[in-house]
Amino acid sequence: MTALALGLGLALLLVSLGLLDGGHEQTIADGVRFGPGHVVIQAKGYQDTNSDELLLPARIVSTITDFLQTPNMKRLVRGVSPRLLATGLLSSSANSSGVRIMGVIPLHERAVSLIPQRMIAGTYLTNDNNLTGVVLGDDLARKLEVKIGSKVVLMTQALVPPNTAGKDGSGDEMESTLLRVNGIFRTGLQAVDANIIQVQLPAAQTLLGIADGQVTLVALLLDREGDSPLVARALRKQLAADPVEVLTWRQSIPMLAQILELDHAFNYIMNGVILAMVGLGILNTILMRVLERRYEFGVCKAVGLRPGQLAIMIIGESLALTSISLLLGLALGLSIEHYFASSGLDLRLLFRAGLPPALVFDPILYSRLSLNRIIWSVGIVFMMATVISFYPAFKAARTELPDALKVL
Amino acid sequence: MSGRLLQLAWRNLWRNRRRTLITMTAIAFGYAMLLFVACLMAGLRWQMIENGTSLVMSQIQVHAPGYYPDHSIQKTLGGRKGTDVQAMLAVVASDRRVYAATPRVYGYGLLSAAPRSAGVELMGVVPTQHPKVTILNSEITQGKYLTAGVPKDVVLGDKLASTIGMRLGSEVVLLTPAADGSMGNDVYTLVGIFHTGLDTVDRSLVLMTLPALQDLLHLAPARIHEIGIKLNDITAATTVAATLGSQLSKTVPVRAMAWPELAPELAGYVQFNRGITFVLFSIFFLMAVIGVMNTMLMAVFERTRELGMLMALGMRPAQVIMLIMAEAAGLAVASLLVGAALGVPILWYLQVHGLNLGGAAGGVISLAGVVVGHLWYGRQDFLAYSEAAIGLAITALVSALYPAWRAAHFRPTEAIRKV
Amino acid sequence: MTIIAWNYRTAAFLLGFALLGGGHVARAADAVKTQPVRMTVDRVAHLFSSKSSIATVKMQIVNEDGQRDIAMKIWSLGDKTIVRIISPQDEAGVAILKVGSDIRYYLPKSNRTVKIPASMAMTSWMGSDFTIDDLVKETFLVRDYSITTSFEGQRGGIAVYEYTLTPKPEAAVVWGKIVLQIRQADAVPTWQGFYDEDGKLVRQLTFSDFKTMGGRLIPTRLVMQPADKAGEHTTIDYQDVVFDVPISEETFSLPNQK
Repeated sequence: MTALALGLGLALLLVSLGLLDGGHEQTIADGVRFGPGHVVIQAKGYQDTNSDELLLPARIVSTITDFLQTPNMKRLVRGVSPRLLATGLLSSSANSSGVRIMGVIPLHERAVSLIPQRMIAGTYLTNDNNLTGVVLGDDLARKLEVKIGSKVVLMTQALVPPNTAGKDGSGDEMESTLLRVNGIFRTGLQAVDANIIQVQLPAAQTLLGIADGQVTLVALLLDREGDSPLVARALRKQLAADPVEVLTWRQSIPMLAQILELDHAFNYIMNGVILAMVGLGILNTILMRVLERRYEFGVCKAVGLRPGQLAIMIIGESLALTSISLLLGLALGLSIEHYFASSGLDLRLLFRAGLPPALVFDPILYSRLSLNRIIWSVGIVFMMATVISFYPAFKAARTELPDALKVL
Repeated sequence: MSGRLLQLAWRNLWRNRRRTLITMTAIAFGYAMLLFVACLMAGLRWQMIENGTSLVMSQIQVHAPGYYPDHSIQKTLGGRKGTDVQAMLAVVASDRRVYAATPRVYGYGLLSAAPRSAGVELMGVVPTQHPKVTILNSEITQGKYLTAGVPKDVVLGDKLASTIGMRLGSEVVLLTPAADGSMGNDVYTLVGIFHTGLDTVDRSLVLMTLPALQDLLHLAPARIHEIGIKLNDITAATTVAATLGSQLSKTVPVRAMAWPELAPELAGYVQFNRGITFVLFSIFFLMAVIGVMNTMLMAVFERTRELGMLMALGMRPAQVIMLIMAEAAGLAVASLLVGAALGVPILWYLQVHGLNLGGAAGGVISLAGVVVGHLWYGRQDFLAYSEAAIGLAITALVSALYPAWRAAHFRPTEAIRKV
Repeated sequence: MTIIAWNYRTAAFLLGFALLGGGHVARAADAVKTQPVRMTVDRVAHLFSSKSSIATVKMQIVNEDGQRDIAMKIWSLGDKTIVRIISPQDEAGVAILKVGSDIRYYLPKSNRTVKIPASMAMTSWMGSDFTIDDLVKETFLVRDYSITTSFEGQRGGIAVYEYTLTPKPEAAVVWGKIVLQIRQADAVPTWQGFYDEDGKLVRQLTFSDFKTMGGRLIPTRLVMQPADKAGEHTTIDYQDVVFDVPISEETFSLPNQK
């Protein structure tokens, strides 16, 4: 029984920690994947002004991609996506709507953004030569009354980069281009589904009159959120001489950082509560087990075992039992955790009808358990189990014979 | 189940005081923790809903059918003719669950403060009544709120002010498509700037007095788009909305929408929150099963001889089972009572003083479109408390099944001989 | 985010711009080797184009909100256009100045001039009966479409040609096809239908009341009707128009411009 309590307790602890940590990481990941990624490189001043005219020259983009190919960086980075952002008007035969244009390279964007995974009709853009594809949100598709394959015309003002001798403030004439709806996505975020369209990067550049491969920003997705400051620092050093700003997601999406603080505090409390509950269960069973063996200890002493030896025997037994239980618990916990790490826990099964139909966050929770956490959990449970058996062990060792034998 | 059996069960529990106390303490503490968690989560839910709805939305919105979600200016309550606004407000206010109600008018247009301009959402409110339903007036960081009878004042968000480059006292031109198709326009003065922490609100919402917006939109005074309602009990929103909807529909066709419909993201988070609580409860029950089963098994095996003797003397197996179950039940009930006693001061503290996370989370944050502070207050969730108690009792009974079954299967002759 | 949906009336103003938008006379047509059909269509497309023009126009908008009548005067020179509203009373004095893609409104009630930001200008025409093709861009019918004659003969007692214009694969137009009907005798348009890619009629433009104004034979009444909103339409009546007259640059200015 004791072994069961110990083992199960540890397993529960590991699984819960894994899921909570995983949930936390995922909230970050989802948040940054709808935005500029874990780390973003953009023209200096872009964060403050959000001016579409502030662009990154192509050579900086190459510097970045080359640098990220170096072995040190390569293993930390999951995706690199250069993007061109602008505003325009998208028209169909039925209606028109103002849109936010994202010019992307589909293969790269797939590794960073969540939009490619939220397609509900058609397919996402592909890296073929077809430059006339566009993907848009279902709210927008409904408004424009378009379906897969429909014609739409995108109109925008050619960007006048600040360093070219501009004409007067009136700007250039409008440029238009024909596009066909390749795919429709639904993220659940109204701001995205009603406003954002993605087209091929070269198509966007042509439309905006950009001749030399400039983009607005480069978004990076990392394997582990925790590497963000490291990668940002390395890039800053690499690009020290250039007029760029390299931001971690905490700086580029401060709102998300704040949400995460809340989530972190929340998890903190949850971890505490779970640990306490597991602890209680373990303490209960161990305490009882040890206390109930007073008779047995009494017999040992009657037979001639010295108090010191008895104490050692008890402790030794306890250690052995604890170790085995923990090993079993570890095995059980890690295998369950591994399942959740690869297949995830589908929250929909858990909450049945409770969740609303259009969920923003991914309803599948993936476990993310760090070695740190494992060591910490095993350590704490081990300590709890051992310490709690010390007291009665010593007490038992000192019991007078007659008392001990009176148990019966 | 005879009274004597129950008495016996109770006495049996206390024969091994130490064991019973240990188990009881564990369960009691566990229950107290569940109470703590339930209270905190309930508080968090309440706070989120309160914050999410009190800022701009309000907990219930009453519109003309078809107004939502397109927000067509023409679709005022009561159609083109409008309606008796005061009468409608009176009907709403007569429901005791309603704290306050206020009329609102909406529009959209262009705000121009030379040389820049931006697209904005316009909201016309009654300055004396609106603060009862939303807390927007308390988010003002510079200047002042609107004043009734001063139609040319506007209040807007800090992000909008900085993007356009406006300051208090700046002149602002509003341009909007009016209800009659013409170009409504007028000049206003910026008197207050607010900061809500919500990007969309700070960037695009412009507040003005209701009559002023009706003027701008060429809408007659009887034409409003919405009645915003604040309730005494947030959790009753959906039921109150249904009641009000049918009541008001007797005179004017309406659609009353409660906040879960208006803010599905928020509703989603609330459900998620409930789910987490459920998971925590389950973890506890799982540990409790082990604890109780362990205790009962020991209790049973320790009394092998005694139980054997009882059965030899004529106690039927069924009665033995009931005896063991009764012991488990007694253990559970006693533990729950102790746990509840432990929990009361914790719950009280949470509700009155709250949990200060100042260190862990700095400042004010926005979650699921809602602003949450770092001081978490608890709220009593008696339903959850009862669910936890019942769950625990059931767990105890279920855990005792195996030991009880084993006890019932002792062979009296062997049992008696056991030392 | 909120997108402004300007009403029919605003959109119709801008229809005026397009129809009278001068500058781009048929130089494209001259450069391209044309068949008679293409030349005809091109001429139709540029019926109202000229280096400069002054027009007095009445517009009537009928929709679910009711009916609205507006009278205005429109000056056009190169890529500059200015519209001044004459009536109704509560709108009189409103002026809209368009220079390239820069649009400004003068509002007499507030006595202020407001600049419509480029992004807003682009979004400001949705929700109306008219699409951007009509309003901002020159309609390069000849450039963007391949033209076939789909009918030749009598309709309603008049000899007409009907042309079906199919967009070229690369053309940035939203239509599946446009059908244009002109009178054989004088090559003035009588009807234009706009279809989506499924072949469904989305809206139609009817031309009538042909008169000679400013030296040209033009339809003085244009009625635009959306196919899916019965009872809604916008009618434009040209009361007077002159072409290629000298207009001073000062005409294209608004008071209180900052």
